[in-house]
Amino acid sequence: MEEQLQTLRQALMTADVKGAIAATQALMDANADPKTVLEEGLARGMSELGEKWKRGEVFLPEVVASAEIFKQCNEMIEPALIAGGQKEASLKVVMATVKGDLHDLGKNMVGAMMRTAGFEVHDLGKDVPADKIIEVVRDMQPEILGLSALLTTTVGQQQAVIETLKKEGLRDKVKVLVGGAPVTQEWADEIGADGFAPSAPEAVNIAQKLTS
Amino acid sequence: MRESRTRDPRSTWIRSLPWNFTVDVLSPGDLAKLHDNSLAILDKVGIALGWAPAVDALADTGARVDRDANRVFFPPELIEKQLALAPSSFLLAARDPALDLRIGAGHGYLATDGCVADIIDIDTGTRRRSTKQDLGDITRLADALPQIGFHWQPVSAGDTPNNTRPLHEVQVQFLNTAKHIQQMTVIDGENARGAAEMARIVAGGAEELRRRPLMSNFQCSISPLAWEDGPLEAMAVFAEAGLPVGVCSMPLSCATAPATVAGLLTIANAEILSGIAILETMHPGAPTFYVSYATSMDLNSGALNLGWGPEELFAEMVCTQMARRYGIPSTVGTFGTGSKFPDWQAGVQNALSGFAKVFAPGDMLTAAGSLYGDRAYSLEALVLDAEIFDLLCHFADGYSFDEDHLAFGPISEVGPGGHFLANPHTLANMRESWMSGLFERGTWEDWEEAGRPSPVNGARVRAREILGSHEPLPLPDGLENELAKVIEAQERG
Repeated sequence: MEEQLQTLRQALMTADVKGAIAATQALMDANADPKTVLEEGLARGMSELGEKWKRGEVFLPEVVASAEIFKQCNEMIEPALIAGGQKEASLKVVMATVKGDLHDLGKNMVGAMMRTAGFEVHDLGKDVPADKIIEVVRDMQPEILGLSALLTTTVGQQQAVIETLKKEGLRDKVKVLVGGAPVTQEWADEIGADGFAPSAPEAVNIAQKLTS
Repeated sequence: MRESRTRDPRSTWIRSLPWNFTVDVLSPGDLAKLHDNSLAILDKVGIALGWAPAVDALADTGARVDRDANRVFFPPELIEKQLALAPSSFLLAARDPALDLRIGAGHGYLATDGCVADIIDIDTGTRRRSTKQDLGDITRLADALPQIGFHWQPVSAGDTPNNTRPLHEVQVQFLNTAKHIQQMTVIDGENARGAAEMARIVAGGAEELRRRPLMSNFQCSISPLAWEDGPLEAMAVFAEAGLPVGVCSMPLSCATAPATVAGLLTIANAEILSGIAILETMHPGAPTFYVSYATSMDLNSGALNLGWGPEELFAEMVCTQMARRYGIPSTVGTFGTGSKFPDWQAGVQNALSGFAKVFAPGDMLTAAGSLYGDRAYSLEALVLDAEIFDLLCHFADGYSFDEDHLAFGPISEVGPGGHFLANPHTLANMRESWMSGLFERGTWEDWEEAGRPSPVNGARVRAREILGSHEPLPLPDGLENELAKVIEAQERG
């Protein structure tokens, strides 16, 4: 069993999608405890990858690739987790690139790094209107809301979302993180965000601080 | 194919600049004019030259000699004939054969600069006289940097006796590197004999040294148009020992050469051709190389111009072209900023000087680590210059445009609006891209938190790490003593 978990971690960390799916399937076929598969296989693999990234041994595209595979494998074991009553509430992050902005690479990178740190990431995509974001925050009740904008013309939408959260009485239910090229700490303070990060790894640090 | 990049501090391979993008900066017509002009100077004006063995040999070979005027005139046929004797390729051997350099094979190798009397102390940041220990440290650092192909004497062993200083420098360098040493502080016969003897000891005998020359040398004319006795005697001693000997000219426009680039290069080319003719007359077939440092005078102060500009760059590029035309390997001035600190001026000068050698390549590029126009040496600058060189080598390696690299498949798969971030093609190919270990590339916030560092800080850290850990290939037992005995014998006279 430990050998199979090791195979899964290895496949995940080397972005071997076929290998990771096969290893997850093999563990499920062998009736492995789904919680163990999640914690000792998938989550530990991502966390080890995060450590490798910090040491400069792997690069961001590799982390993003592994995070995609993590998501697929996680979906495979999720029904068993729920059926066994083992699905624990993990810290949820909802992320979106704001309305009018089609640049979502930065957000994708942050999402991938968040997954390596064990957050449950829900990515709403790009060009997402404030109403849609509010609706998801209300339904899903995430701990963190990440708002991304690349353009000086769309960065104002971050403020619009925060204002709408206030209007809907949701502002104190979620921590809002903002990011993107035109975003600075001053801007984050000005619009009343809870945090700002200039890079993907720093976003993870701040998310961890805000939820600890 | 790209080599995989390793940061192994124990350098077991050498980074070289391939000649993949050679551009001729002079038209064939202008190059021929420069050649003809130099030959006319050698024929009609001649060279001041008094060392009897050279004068006698040249007289026997067809040179016109005016002994009263201390002048030798070189007919064009003599120059052409002697030039043809020089080999187009030779070996610069290293104590570790894996670090041997094949010169004349279409690759440029970077050396440490030299020879500087002052060092910027890495701990205090102040300028002070350099010592034998400093020379050992710099040599050991350069031994670990794959971008450094061979050594000059970056700093002088300033705390050793004047008359045997070059031998102390040879000794401490052999102790601290397994790479090739190009001795450039010996300018007299006696030290040349001592240095060649030390090289024989390390090589394991005269024949072995001839087969694998662990040391080379070059000698300089005095601009305009003169050769002193000492350098010629040293040249002869090294050639006798089978060591490659370069011929160097360092004219200064407006001072020891005309103000014009064409006039400056005429002086340089004439002096170098005269030196090669002397060497090939005395030792036919001796391996030699074309070395030029044609620079300019600062018009205000009369000092060496530290503002290396377009004239120096152009002159460097012409000299490598001239050497390629002659079929003789070349050494060309590269880096060696006039700035006092690794700053904007240093970055501009060294990046331009380096990039020029991608297109006008030489065999030996000299050199890394000096500041203030060769008057101060810096360990940080050595690491920074090695980084510039690494970038240039990566560029000069070129980029594949084969089917896989054209990436039609991945582009079709991702399609409009997607991304390549986690695409298998990205993961398979991204490591081919160069990544700087020293450029400041973090966020503003991280940079402020770290105290606003510059790449100099990173270079200092790397230099200290290497000096703290790198152990060069040791000399066989007893050799250090044998080298010391050569020095003692010469000190006793």
